[in-house]
Amino acid sequence: MLALLFILFAGIAIGSAIAVVAQRNPLYSAISLIGVFISLACLYVMLAAPFLAAVQVIVYAGAIMVLVVFVIMLLNVEQEERRTRLSFLVPAAVGLAALLIAEVTFILYWVQVSPVTPAGNVSDTGLTASIGTGLFTTYLLPFEITSILLLMAIVGAMTLARRTAELPPGARVVPGAQVLALNIIDPTVPLDDTTAIEAHTTVEVAKILGIPDDHDPARRD
Amino acid sequence: MDWQTLRDVVLQFVAITVAFTVVLLIVAYTVLAERRVLGLIQGRLGPNRVGFGGSLQPFADLLKFILKEDIVPDKSTRFVYFLAPVIATMAALMTMIVYPFGPEVNLPFLQRTTQLVIARFDVALLYVLGVTSVGVYGIALAGWSSNNKYSLMGGLRSSAQMISYELSLGLALIGVILQSGTLDLYRIVELQSRWHGCGWFILWLQPLGFFIYLMSAIAETNRVPFDLPEAETELVAGFHTEYSAMKFALFFLAEYINMFTVSMLATTLFLGGWNVPFAEDLFGRGTLLFALVSVIGFLVKICFFLFLYIWLRGTLPRFRFDQLMNFGWKFLLPLALVNIFITATLIFLNVL
Repeated sequence: MLALLFILFAGIAIGSAIAVVAQRNPLYSAISLIGVFISLACLYVMLAAPFLAAVQVIVYAGAIMVLVVFVIMLLNVEQEERRTRLSFLVPAAVGLAALLIAEVTFILYWVQVSPVTPAGNVSDTGLTASIGTGLFTTYLLPFEITSILLLMAIVGAMTLARRTAELPPGARVVPGAQVLALNIIDPTVPLDDTTAIEAHTTVEVAKILGIPDDHDPARRD
Repeated sequence: MDWQTLRDVVLQFVAITVAFTVVLLIVAYTVLAERRVLGLIQGRLGPNRVGFGGSLQPFADLLKFILKEDIVPDKSTRFVYFLAPVIATMAALMTMIVYPFGPEVNLPFLQRTTQLVIARFDVALLYVLGVTSVGVYGIALAGWSSNNKYSLMGGLRSSAQMISYELSLGLALIGVILQSGTLDLYRIVELQSRWHGCGWFILWLQPLGFFIYLMSAIAETNRVPFDLPEAETELVAGFHTEYSAMKFALFFLAEYINMFTVSMLATTLFLGGWNVPFAEDLFGRGTLLFALVSVIGFLVKICFFLFLYIWLRGTLPRFRFDQLMNFGWKFLLPLALVNIFITATLIFLNVL
């Protein structure tokens, strides 16, 4: 029974994974990828790791792929045209596939001949409580480092997407210049041009330089 | 497969069938109730001709949906177009199996004790969140595959709205999880049986969490005042503009099942699930009567939420899209974080 279920879910996972790369339409690839994630979650459940399965569905299928589908729909990405691929990719793919198969065979062989018998299939490592305990005691440092990394990514993305940024106090702009010169951003460097105007934000700089502001509420119709 | 397993599988199958049938019947009558209550609010009668007082109206509607012409747009992406309503309905129905409908009951004649829940497992709450988040694809893909501007706008709005409100929805639940220390829904309901079945989490420390959950849940189910994805004054019919006959009925069904399951979760987490005050003292633990009263209590609480949904639809205007986003990100999300902070502090100080 379990073997049957395993073959079913593994089959769906592999089939969907092939479909991800074989499909020409980006949205079909995205849907196939969702299929991969969900069948992987089913496999996690069979491995007695329900928490991991639930998180897999919530984070990958429910959040990340929704964003991907959202972007594909928003940009209305057209079907990719058939074009000649880089020729070295085919032998590279064959080589990597051979490596993967060799690895799997090696592992399966060593599991067979290993003198250590695996423990019974009742274990609580996959349960929520044990994962929580592990994350907040033994693996606290990697957990916190990961959180800080994610926080940095969020702050970085917001900084890049921000429309108005504050400039350092005393920053000056030269009208007619194409870009902001280094000594304009950094007020400690002495200026030789007397026509420089003091500016506080990037929006003011854009106005002085004569760059049209797309997000000006007055221009919005 | 031995005899024991086979019996369990058959029992499970029967339980699922009974639960689905009852829920679908209630959902069918919710549609009727909605039309009647809306009629009352607007000073008219509502459908009252089919059967006694309109009681057969849901079946007449169903027959109409089956018999209508099934129109498929010529330039639609056929496979995805047919897949979308299936995903929507399936995701809506799948969460049904983890909710505890009633307490432990001694079955007569069988000498067997059983809990009135179909599947009880460690991560039930996460399972609900996961399946609900997959439900977004039904609407998003329907909007995309119809090859229609209005449908696409509806699908885009819906996915943006649902991923925004999923955050505050999930964060609102964290207070309850902190308080109960488990993700198992049955255990959460059991913990609320304190003080003769009056230990409901909404009364003990979670009124704010309940409020945030309720707001986000209404947005998650795309109901008024957050029904932007199908705003008929702007988008014809939103994501299901191109859907007709039974495929439209599936979306319709999914929306009402979602309302039902969201109400079930609200009841389970905040309103004490099947706990009816003083019922255990009156009827005794494990008796059939106690189970019956508990199940009815559970359903009554759900009906309260369904009525609230209809009431809101009858009385509130629709949000504008930027207002919707501001409300979700700048009001509900910080509020949910404050709620978590307060709950965690009180638990840390051992107030509870």
